Amino acid sequence: MPEGKGYKKLKAQTSLADILSVATEFERTARDFYSDLAGKVSKNIRYLVEELAEEEQRHFDLFSELSRRKDIEDQVSQLVDTPASNGKFSDCIHLPELGDKPDDQEVLQFALGREHAAMEQYHSLAESTPAGPIQDLFRFLADEETQHKNELEKLYYEIVHSGGV
Amino acid sequence: MSIRNILSPFTAWKYLFRDPVTIPDPLNDRPGSPRYRGFHKNDMKKCIGCGTCEAICQNGAIDMVAVEGIDASKEDSGLRPNIDYGRCCWCALCVDVCMTGSLTMSNEYKWVESNPDAFRFTPGVDKKHWDNAALGYHRPDGYQLTGRVREQMPELEPAKRIESFDEIVQGYDVEQAKLEADRCVACGLCIATCPAHMAVPDYIAAVRDGDYERGLKILYDTNPFSQICGRVCTHRCETVCAARHEGDPIAIRWLKRHITEQVPRDRYRAIIGDPAPPTGKSVAIIGAGPAGMTAAYDLARKGHAVTVYEALPHAGGMTRYGIPEYRLPYETIQHEMDLILSMGVTIHYDTRIGSDITMQQLEQDFDAVILAIGLQMGRSTRIPGSEHAGVKKAVDLLRRITEGEHIDAPKSMVVIGGGNVAMDIARSMARLQKQQHGSIDVTLTALEDLNHFLADPDEIKESLEEGVNILDSRGPQQCQVDAEGNLTGLKTWKVLSIFDQQGRFAPSFDETDEQIHPAEMVVEAIGQMSDVNLLGEELTERLEWNRGRIQIDTNGRTSESWLWAAGDCVTGPDVVSAVAAGHQVAKSIDAVINPVEALTHA
Amino acid sequence: MAYTPDRSQYPQKKADGSLDIDLTSGKYLKLWQGPQHPGITGNMSIELTVCGDEVAEGRTHVGYLHRGFEKLMERRTFIQNFPIVCRICVPEPDFNEYCYAAAVEELAGIEVPERADWIRALILEMGRINSYLMYLGGQAGALGQAVIGQWSTYVRDLMLDRFEELTGARIYHMFIMPGGVRDNLPTGFRTRMEHTLGEIENALRDIHNVMFRNAVFEKRTRGIGVIEKEWLDSYGVTGPCIRAAGVPRDVRKDQPYLVYDQLDFDPVIGKDSDIYTRADVRRRDLLLSVDLIRQILSRMPQDDGPTMATTPNVLHWKIEPGETYVRGECSRGEYGYYLVTDGSGYPRRVNVRGPSYTHAMALFERMVVNCNIADVAALLVSLHTYPPEIER
Repeated sequence: MPEGKGYKKLKAQTSLADILSVATEFERTARDFYSDLAGKVSKNIRYLVEELAEEEQRHFDLFSELSRRKDIEDQVSQLVDTPASNGKFSDCIHLPELGDKPDDQEVLQFALGREHAAMEQYHSLAESTPAGPIQDLFRFLADEETQHKNELEKLYYEIVHSGGV
Repeated sequence: MSIRNILSPFTAWKYLFRDPVTIPDPLNDRPGSPRYRGFHKNDMKKCIGCGTCEAICQNGAIDMVAVEGIDASKEDSGLRPNIDYGRCCWCALCVDVCMTGSLTMSNEYKWVESNPDAFRFTPGVDKKHWDNAALGYHRPDGYQLTGRVREQMPELEPAKRIESFDEIVQGYDVEQAKLEADRCVACGLCIATCPAHMAVPDYIAAVRDGDYERGLKILYDTNPFSQICGRVCTHRCETVCAARHEGDPIAIRWLKRHITEQVPRDRYRAIIGDPAPPTGKSVAIIGAGPAGMTAAYDLARKGHAVTVYEALPHAGGMTRYGIPEYRLPYETIQHEMDLILSMGVTIHYDTRIGSDITMQQLEQDFDAVILAIGLQMGRSTRIPGSEHAGVKKAVDLLRRITEGEHIDAPKSMVVIGGGNVAMDIARSMARLQKQQHGSIDVTLTALEDLNHFLADPDEIKESLEEGVNILDSRGPQQCQVDAEGNLTGLKTWKVLSIFDQQGRFAPSFDETDEQIHPAEMVVEAIGQMSDVNLLGEELTERLEWNRGRIQIDTNGRTSESWLWAAGDCVTGPDVVSAVAAGHQVAKSIDAVINPVEALTHA
Repeated sequence: MAYTPDRSQYPQKKADGSLDIDLTSGKYLKLWQGPQHPGITGNMSIELTVCGDEVAEGRTHVGYLHRGFEKLMERRTFIQNFPIVCRICVPEPDFNEYCYAAAVEELAGIEVPERADWIRALILEMGRINSYLMYLGGQAGALGQAVIGQWSTYVRDLMLDRFEELTGARIYHMFIMPGGVRDNLPTGFRTRMEHTLGEIENALRDIHNVMFRNAVFEKRTRGIGVIEKEWLDSYGVTGPCIRAAGVPRDVRKDQPYLVYDQLDFDPVIGKDSDIYTRADVRRRDLLLSVDLIRQILSRMPQDDGPTMATTPNVLHWKIEPGETYVRGECSRGEYGYYLVTDGSGYPRRVNVRGPSYTHAMALFERMVVNCNIADVAALLVSLHTYPPEIER
């Protein structure tokens, strides 16, 4: 996954603004995917999909706003100061195909897989980029995805691993 | 009269040449002795506001008062002792009886004040200069005015209990129960914590008095599942018990059980009494578990016509189909259910709503409907291989065992999960293995480390005693299947940590520590969910939801005015919480369908 | 009219046996001694009918101090009564604590740790010393010798210091609980107690020289206030009052409680049964207590061990129906608690037998007849009475 299509597209970009606009595009696509899915799933788990769409929207807004600023470099260097911790999650190692009527666990596993892939992608981009503003930006993007993934994992544990008393 | 006796008194003159023995400045030069019973101190970090000091004070000098900034919580009444030094005699019984050791005395004994009201104060809250005094009376070590040690519950030995599904816990005898009940200080923190707000100190007092009929009446005032809760309640009351601070908490659950065992079964119905005359209103209840049957009991006792629909052949819900018989015998459940049904409740077994009868039908036929369907479906890890036929869900297996179905116990098996359900299935299957193969091979893996298992410590202890091999901190990765398609085992990785520094779920694994646990069967016991398909698409869309669960208001009513929901399906798994929810919806429904009666009985 | 010890003279009786005191005759005068009077012990009063300066009749009046302890205790739990009982006798409260605790323990079937018995005996002897020291000051004071009280108060204060460090309080110790005693001896207690005992012995030497070897004191007390042999049993006389009459009656010896059977002592006795002899018996009894404390401290188990037995939860402690009478030898005589339980959490009945009840009420009324007014105070003090234990 890290070496996928998005990787090449991003790798080719050299300006911070360009990278951000590609990343923003990814978020938009994801948001549209979830918004579309929300209409399909049963109402009882719709909140999950809606929240995922909202989160992608938030990223979309954040990246768009960032790319419009004059002082991108300063902003990015400040943002990467506090990276989120990364881990791997077992149950989502294989990404399920989302059918027409996915249940909550499938939605969560899908979203986790997607965030995980994005995170890895940005991480490896950062590693293959020399130190500087661009590396900082990749690290920032990786961090954003990591944070989201962490939130999802917590949710996953609460919903699926309720322990069963 | 001798001359000596005339002269001798003049020896008193020698005192002229002696130094005075008085202390010139006693206010400053004469501190109280190290154990002096001086002014009170109260450690706010330790005080739980249990009020035992107030109870023992023979002068009535102590009042428990609300204090600004100290809120009531499960383990703390939020009240603090206010002491009136116009009444206090400094006997220190309050210090001696203090359940947490928070109340002590300084060796300070001087307090000059012109305002007499100032001598009523709340130690620890109203700051005093002796608050940090090192000296003064503390209860000496090793002496106690209330019992500290819990009566040991007689139980079957591990070697004996693994042979069968016989109940493990044998119950207190009268002597033991009295001793255990004697330890209670009746602070009432348990009442506040119990979801059903059972009158714990009152029924414990009934045990002390040996008045079991009174005890039973108190039990069934708040809990129609008293026999069941007396065995399998999660007993959160015991986690807040004042006695736990310097000893063992009172065995509240076992005392409840003791009462139910002491009253002959044929006396129950007469003690509880008859329901009210019919009101002409009707209520349908879906699911004969703790929530549904509690609501049925309450509503029937108020005179409403109650009909319960149960998909399975017996009532009891998860208490019957989820909890193994060695923890809760079926005949106990049956007696409890018969008692509830005797209040005039109609029940239809083997009737599944959604397929046999629709929700729309119920909406039309009844004044109110309660959804109490519980969490009947097991969750799956959905790891690779988990779709194999040899991978089972714990709740399904437990249900089949309860139904008396023959289950071929595998020679070896792995259970995934660290909760009580995981323990239940591991121990049940161990018994079947023992019966069918004469030996036990059950491995239990869980993501959590042993200290963070969701299961009760007793369950873990007993599982280990019965030979269950518990491997903590193992993350399931794959169910291994050989070339012939047979399940051969479970692959796990070592979990390095399961939570991050903020305490959020964020597992990290050591992939190099990979283990294959050989097994012919893998059982997933990681969690459960509700089967809400019975609602149908149209009703599902109409209802408001709250993060995957049906949204209810504080009374248990859903966004549909005719439909209430209660129990595990809305509040998560717990018997006594379900009982509490059952009471709540019953009260709410009664107020809605029979407003005049509800008002006069409010 | 000279004082004649011929007691048969008064009071004159009529043919029907009733007293022949005609107050209108001008021969008699009613005189109240107390309740506010320097020559009275505590809160009580004596209604005297005098003929000249001789007492023809005396009536003891009590009720100034009635707090209804026995009734209060019927509405308090067994543990809640423990802080109440000491208040029944202010100068020597410990006998109330001991007798109450021992009665409860007997009826509840509680075995007290041996250490607690030794410490209880220690406390009781300390209390006896304090009580006697207070008495000596009072006995001398009743005859105008104020200095004895100053000396005895000083050494009594030292003993109160010992009480404070051992029990946590100076007057109401609240240390002997049903089940045992609250705590062990504090570190260094023996050394400080030995110093206090030395001071007491010094003070007693001085008191002996100034009070007892004193022509005035002797003149005022020898042959006065004699308790006749035939009154001893009929008036229920106990303690130093009976021992001063030559009868070696002492509960510590007659029916040993606590650890008194393990201590070496003989009851202190006198023979003249007058005020002087009673004072002297008390002085020597005080020295005996000093000796007993030394014996107790050297013989009691040295290591720290449990001092309290396990009791039921005191908040709902119920005691099976039963009754008992527990007694001990206090500084005034036999102290006793009669306790009845009925299976509930409260005593059904508590009756406190304080020696002052018989001494100050019945016996004193008999003795005061024919007494000189100036001797009434000394006579009353010589019976060593504490009004609170009369009224309870």
